[in-house]
Amino acid sequence: MRDLIRKLTETYGPSGFEDRIRAVIREEVESLADEVRVTPLGSLVAVKKGTGEGRRIMLAAHMDEIGVMVSHVDEKGFLRFTAIGGVNPLTCIGARVQFENGTLGVIGIEGKREDRSKVPTLNQLYIDVGATSKEDCPVRVGDAAVFVRPFAEQGQRLVAKAMDDRIGCAVLIETLRRLKKTQNEIYFVFSVQEETTLSGARTAAYGIEPDLAIAVDVTGTGDTPEARPMAVELGKGPAVKVQDRGMIAHPLVRDLLVKAAEAAGVPYQMEVLEYGTTDAAAMQLVRAGVPSGCLSIPCRYVHTPSEMVDEGDVEGAVKVLIEAVR
Amino acid sequence: METIPLLRELSETSGLAGLEAPIRALVRRLWGPLVDELREDGLGSVIGLKRGSGPEPRPRLMLAVHMDEIGLRVMEIEKGFLRITRIGGADRRVLPGTQVVVHGRRDLPGVVGMRPPHVVPREQRKKPVPWEELFVDVGLPEEEVRKLVRVGDPITFDRKLVELKNGLVTGKALDNRASVAAATLALEQLGRIDHAWDVVAVATVQEEVGLYGAATSAYSVAPDLALAVDVTFGQQPGVPADQSFPLGEGPTISLGPNFHPQVVERLKATAEAQEIPYRIEPTPGRSGTDAWAIQVAREGVPTGLVSIPVRYMHQPVETVAVKDVERAARLLASFAAGLEPDFQPRWED
Repeated sequence: MRDLIRKLTETYGPSGFEDRIRAVIREEVESLADEVRVTPLGSLVAVKKGTGEGRRIMLAAHMDEIGVMVSHVDEKGFLRFTAIGGVNPLTCIGARVQFENGTLGVIGIEGKREDRSKVPTLNQLYIDVGATSKEDCPVRVGDAAVFVRPFAEQGQRLVAKAMDDRIGCAVLIETLRRLKKTQNEIYFVFSVQEETTLSGARTAAYGIEPDLAIAVDVTGTGDTPEARPMAVELGKGPAVKVQDRGMIAHPLVRDLLVKAAEAAGVPYQMEVLEYGTTDAAAMQLVRAGVPSGCLSIPCRYVHTPSEMVDEGDVEGAVKVLIEAVR
Repeated sequence: METIPLLRELSETSGLAGLEAPIRALVRRLWGPLVDELREDGLGSVIGLKRGSGPEPRPRLMLAVHMDEIGLRVMEIEKGFLRITRIGGADRRVLPGTQVVVHGRRDLPGVVGMRPPHVVPREQRKKPVPWEELFVDVGLPEEEVRKLVRVGDPITFDRKLVELKNGLVTGKALDNRASVAAATLALEQLGRIDHAWDVVAVATVQEEVGLYGAATSAYSVAPDLALAVDVTFGQQPGVPADQSFPLGEGPTISLGPNFHPQVVERLKATAEAQEIPYRIEPTPGRSGTDAWAIQVAREGVPTGLVSIPVRYMHQPVETVAVKDVERAARLLASFAAGLEPDFQPRWED
């Protein structure tokens, strides 16, 4: 699965600009699914048909990633930018970003800040693409870039940008690859725009009308120095979400995932997240309501260009998911 | 239709979020002769259908403009004076000294007063007046006020539209009546030019308090493609140049996740073909306009956003360039007329 994770995390795809990552995922799922389609907002839906007696299950992993968008180009060709999703100014300084047309940029910080001990705001940062004037600047207002960071492996730990949530996409693709035909009709949804508005999963769920929905996304951990208390650790198995800032997981889905983990013999953790949310929060509110839950991959340094996961947790998530949707 | 009289009538008519009856009546009167069918949805948005010439079943383009405005509401009556709260994002910094109309059992003129500067401690003078200290005076004694005004009654700004120099007009509620004017002019133009698609113009309610009218009307219209028209920040002192747009240099076309790239491209191509100046407005997340509520209706709607730059947003002196309103109208009409019968925005071309 490592090659797949490498390919997925190194592909460009900030929220609203998912064409490339969609093409990469389509190539992976085309031969595995009975049907592949794209929703009006651009989410990719791969359908694995069932025997007809079962339920409609929607699995969602978002394929968009956080990034930056150019808001202004000055006379000397420096770019001001705004965040697409939750970008932390602290991880921006010195970072490299890449635009869809391949242009590389370096993020710099204004030297004349009044209080240099304070965390800078995004307004005090700029992107330098090596241009010398507005005219020779290869990018324009409205263009979007993502952080550049090669995939790295360190024993069981995998590090990359955009693990959030390409690791979820990898889990879905791998699940689709290994899953035998079941009684259920299963919709593997690679959603757009999770990082900004949860719009992709919400609208895809309207079209699919699932009986049950499970998001696969990353979650934080409490196992690093002086971390916020959180009973999730890297390497202790996938986490079954109980609650986050956007939703309380439906007990039926939560229990389904717990039972699946036990049946599959996969160690698992219960997750209570005090910040952030996932596609599950949007899916549960569609139409008359969809029982929804989330299977999480523990991830350190979420929303930095070096998001770290444990391969065992990823492998465990695939096994739990296969057991849960059977 | 003359633009300035149209803007005047739209701006001066009241229609607070959730209390849109007067502006709804005006929109019905304006749109009635321009469309084939006119109806209202459950929340009170006005929906006008202008049939296209293409073969049935015809795809539908939704043009959404919110008609509600921000304002005030009576919180309590204290010794004949009215304590107030806001409806939508009214700016309390500019309330003192404004003239208002209290919509009680009958309409009453009033003023927003505050303590004379002489009796305000020096350090407090530097801060905006908190809501608790603002009140409306209608001039009547307590018993008379209580007979005519009840807690919850709405209050609107009493403001005539004024023409400034250089083709600018200023008044209340140009957010978003400038766009209602643009949609009205566009409907008028579509009476003269052929369009294959059905055009469904919607004057939405309750945008200022949560995009509710757009959410419900988009559900009911189920459009194949949608454009919202709203206002954006005009350039003025104190607002960064990269977050605002000059007045009189055309509407903006928004770009970002809220908008379908092919809709954005078509808007740009239309503007260029019609020689309409425009600016690109980068919008990294949800736009905060009807465009977002419409985009996530049902299975998702390919959506675009055209905005008219306005100075002093959410203050009773909102200022726009008349020609930007007219350019937005031409952009909408030309965009609608340019939609081929079989066009459908796609992702993988």
